[in-house]
Amino acid sequence: MTTQKITDSPIDFAEDIILDVKNSKEDGVLKCVQCGMCTSTCPAARHSDYNPRDIIERVLEGDMTIMEDDNIWNCFYCYTCHSVCPVGNSVCEVNQILKQFAINNGIGYDKLYEYMGFADSYFTAAIGAIPEIFFEDIRRDVPGWWEFRQNLGDIRDELELNPPLMPPEEVIDEVSTILTITGFKDRIEKIRQSQEEE
Amino acid sequence: MKEIPDKNILLFRSCLVSVEYPGVEASTKFVFDKLGVDYAISEKQTCCTGLGHYSDVFDQLSTSAIGARNFRIAKDLDRPNLVMMCATCYAINKKSVKLLNNKDELREKINNLFDENGLGHLKYEKDELKPTENIFHVVDILYNKIDEIPDKIKYDLSDYTIATHHGCHYCKVHYEDTVGGVRDPHILDDIIGACGCETIGWYDHKRATCGTGFRQRYSNPELSFSATADKMNAICDEDVDIMVHLCPNCHIQFDRYQHLIADREKRKFRAIHLNIAQFVALAMGGDLDKVIGAKAHTVPIDSVIKDLKEVEK
Repeated sequence: MTTQKITDSPIDFAEDIILDVKNSKEDGVLKCVQCGMCTSTCPAARHSDYNPRDIIERVLEGDMTIMEDDNIWNCFYCYTCHSVCPVGNSVCEVNQILKQFAINNGIGYDKLYEYMGFADSYFTAAIGAIPEIFFEDIRRDVPGWWEFRQNLGDIRDELELNPPLMPPEEVIDEVSTILTITGFKDRIEKIRQSQEEE
Repeated sequence: MKEIPDKNILLFRSCLVSVEYPGVEASTKFVFDKLGVDYAISEKQTCCTGLGHYSDVFDQLSTSAIGARNFRIAKDLDRPNLVMMCATCYAINKKSVKLLNNKDELREKINNLFDENGLGHLKYEKDELKPTENIFHVVDILYNKIDEIPDKIKYDLSDYTIATHHGCHYCKVHYEDTVGGVRDPHILDDIIGACGCETIGWYDHKRATCGTGFRQRYSNPELSFSATADKMNAICDEDVDIMVHLCPNCHIQFDRYQHLIADREKRKFRAIHLNIAQFVALAMGGDLDKVIGAKAHTVPIDSVIKDLKEVEK
């Protein structure tokens, strides 16, 4: 059983979300009337224990244990709730902000570890390629995919695509510099180290 | 309707299009050339960070800094109209423009980091680009040219049963800018109509997600494929031949995993999956290998389209 931590000023939690750079809905979270439109249209709620209405209820109660709730990782980021909310709230955005709060508090690193390939491919090729860690699953699940990927160069040549797939070296260097000065590289190294030490 | 440009366009390359369905890029170029759209592609433009961003790996500061760099490239080429082939690139870039214009602290932080690290040439000035006036998806450009499409059509695809899947990150994220409906999206149906074909229109789960859910497909496949199955069952009930998409991520989910989900649902799913640019290019006479990129598809295009008949002029 998880312990519910109610802060002294429950509204502070919602205020932190409102102030986050990702928030595009001003004080939409405070306007939630718990109507449940988000939950009734949500694919994750339809197929799992994810409950967007409940997330906002807990946020408004100042229940910060929501950051440790595995269910928040079931959101599809499909923005259906965001597009139908009658009071202009967005659980989808609140969810993304909660996950960034979690990560900044050292929570959820295990969830991100498999996706380190997205970061690596940025430093090596400035491309957001599907992480190689998933290739084995894709080969198993998708007939002919691996063979297709081996022939990708020939297929692209036949389509006469230009410029080529890989950007020039100076572009990759510039992108790597940007992702270093924003603190992204340190964040990735911290996540990787924490998981590889375990 | 909002103003949609047909010139000074930077066609924004997509990682998933490049490595999974490169025919989407070739088809977009083919159709843009036919319709007289002025565009260029730049080798300097890099990934929007979308897949990493929505897997929660990227923070907003890093995504918007990468956005600022790509916006600078577009401006330096005098191509301030960014046109995306991928719904996620579209949503990510539109959000970064909004944030860079409206969140002064974020913009100043990014500009200071650029200045302090020898990247002053990448600085973004407030309102340099406008989210509604400069950030588009390929479907917007096609919709703007909808009256010019019928004259360019070579093949008659009207005998096929056609359904559309409108990507969430085109329709639902920046819904104030979405052309052709949000609750009952129909921009793809309208463009297909201009090719002389009638789609099935509304169907059960039409506006639902493809089920990719970014991390869900890989880390939570049961959840992901349950959502996809809702939609695949719905289009199977309608006996659909061709499903038309606007996002490579949705395209992967349906085309690559159709076999797997058919086994799971114990049904035979037979639809082929085409991006809207591929559909229009095919109707305009694009070659299956040299333009459409048929070899990249898992469900073979020729399992449904066996021969092409020319339209009667």
